[in-house]
Amino acid sequence: MFKRSAVVLVVFALLVFVSCAKPPEQEIQKANGSIEAARASEAEEYVPDAFQVAMDTLNAANAAKTEADGKFALFRSYGKAKEMFIRAEALANEAATQAAAEKERVRAEVEGILTQAKAVLDSADAALKKAPKGKGSKADIELIKNDFAAAQASFDEGQNDFNAGKYKSAKAKVEASMQRAQAVITQIEEAKAKKAGK
Amino acid sequence: MDFVCIWEEVSLSSRVRFLLIAVLVVILLSVLALLFFPGQHPPVTSLENAKLALKLAAKSGALHYAKESYRSAEKTLQNGWMEMARQNGRLALFRNYEVADSTLRLASEMAKESEQKTRERIHYLDSVAQSQCADLRNELSLCRDALDGSLANFQAERYWSAAELSLTMSELLAVRGEYEEACQTAAKGRESLHQLIETLAEYANDEAKKINVWRRWVQETLAESRTKGTYAVIVDKSTHKTYLVRAGNIVHTYNCELGYNSVHQKLFAGDGATPEGKYQISAVKRFSKYYKALLINYPNQLDRNRFVENKKKGIISSHARIGGLIEIHGGGGRNEDWTDGCVALTNKEMDHIMQYVTVGTPVTIVRRSDQWP
Repeated sequence: MFKRSAVVLVVFALLVFVSCAKPPEQEIQKANGSIEAARASEAEEYVPDAFQVAMDTLNAANAAKTEADGKFALFRSYGKAKEMFIRAEALANEAATQAAAEKERVRAEVEGILTQAKAVLDSADAALKKAPKGKGSKADIELIKNDFAAAQASFDEGQNDFNAGKYKSAKAKVEASMQRAQAVITQIEEAKAKKAGK
Repeated sequence: MDFVCIWEEVSLSSRVRFLLIAVLVVILLSVLALLFFPGQHPPVTSLENAKLALKLAAKSGALHYAKESYRSAEKTLQNGWMEMARQNGRLALFRNYEVADSTLRLASEMAKESEQKTRERIHYLDSVAQSQCADLRNELSLCRDALDGSLANFQAERYWSAAELSLTMSELLAVRGEYEEACQTAAKGRESLHQLIETLAEYANDEAKKINVWRRWVQETLAESRTKGTYAVIVDKSTHKTYLVRAGNIVHTYNCELGYNSVHQKLFAGDGATPEGKYQISAVKRFSKYYKALLINYPNQLDRNRFVENKKKGIISSHARIGGLIEIHGGGGRNEDWTDGCVALTNKEMDHIMQYVTVGTPVTIVRRSDQWP
């Protein structure tokens, strides 16, 4: 009876050790998946610091797992590695969320500028329609029309870049378009003043 | 009593027990030594240095400008880190961190190299963008001079405006670090200028085809004036000069202003062009909206033929009218082409010319008179 109990105890102890010695495969997969998802959401570009923290945590988790792999089975424990993989997954998810928010912020900012520029272009177009007609102003108006056409083309390019997600270049092009459209309005005012002064 | 005597006096079972305990103690001490012997220190400093170097490379923009070398550095860091972890998992006595340390140092070097490549690439792209903007600016300036020195060509001006806006956008993009976009935009600007130059070249070709016609018109007018000893008026659009001629010789030169779109021949009413052709004064107006005026008999038969032909070819709209009421009138002196197609002189010059011309006086208008005066 004593021998049977001792054998049962030894077998139980071995089972316990073996179960603690399994690598946390599920947590590893989840953490890797979250990192890839964060990378796909451009977290590396939009929130580089947050992404780097998640990456470092994943690397540290892999190191902890590798360290545990090398230990003798009886002393092997993946508890620390498992915690770190769970943390890496959470950090990667957080980075992906922050990246989405940052992208949305940038997108909204550029969209605001697009709306502003459109309003200025519309004002310039309206001003052109009411531009002074008659001798002495037609040449000026023809040249102003050229400037307006260039501003419109620049706005269209910016809009295309915005639609393609190229927010930085969209912003520069739309701002240039807005400057030119504003200049068109000023030139029309000057043409009006010139005509009135004759 | 020495140890041997004591050993001889002790029983066999006690001796065996003593030896067993001694062996167990030795084994225990050996195991403790294997487990807790400190061994080599893991290269934590090399690891932190490599991580920092990679972070700095990322901050400099390596992911965008030196992606391959950045990724290689990242991979090497991971390999070094894992090798360190592998050694950490071994018994202290058997740990060897040499490979891990050298790998991590290599990762650090690679990250620094990636950062250096990034800085060099940014510097290069910035220089290229600046250089392209400078070239575009120069070309714009040259084209501007060419445009200012000739009759207003709105098609060419359109290309110039587009090129100028491309320059503005390119400069904005370069300032924001979007160097590749800046170069592409500058290239678009140069493309617009090429189209401008092609337009001017087409125009020059058109002129080259017609120059003989204009030369002939001028010579015929001078010959008639010489033969009859009468006055004639010759207008050179490109130089903005109106010549009063008597018996084939210039007696007075006036500066004149033309239609706002006089780079071409007049095609239809409202196109803003001053017509080119041989005309005569058909009426003298001592009172006019523009001080005084000399009406000419545009359109002539050549103008009518051309108008019909252009409508047939679809060059002008079927609803277009040929126009008329082209005059030499006062109100000039504005230093710009502002009329709808008339030739404008100053009021003082109108007073002068009207002393000498009358109904029937020939008025020849050419785009360019290169062999005369």
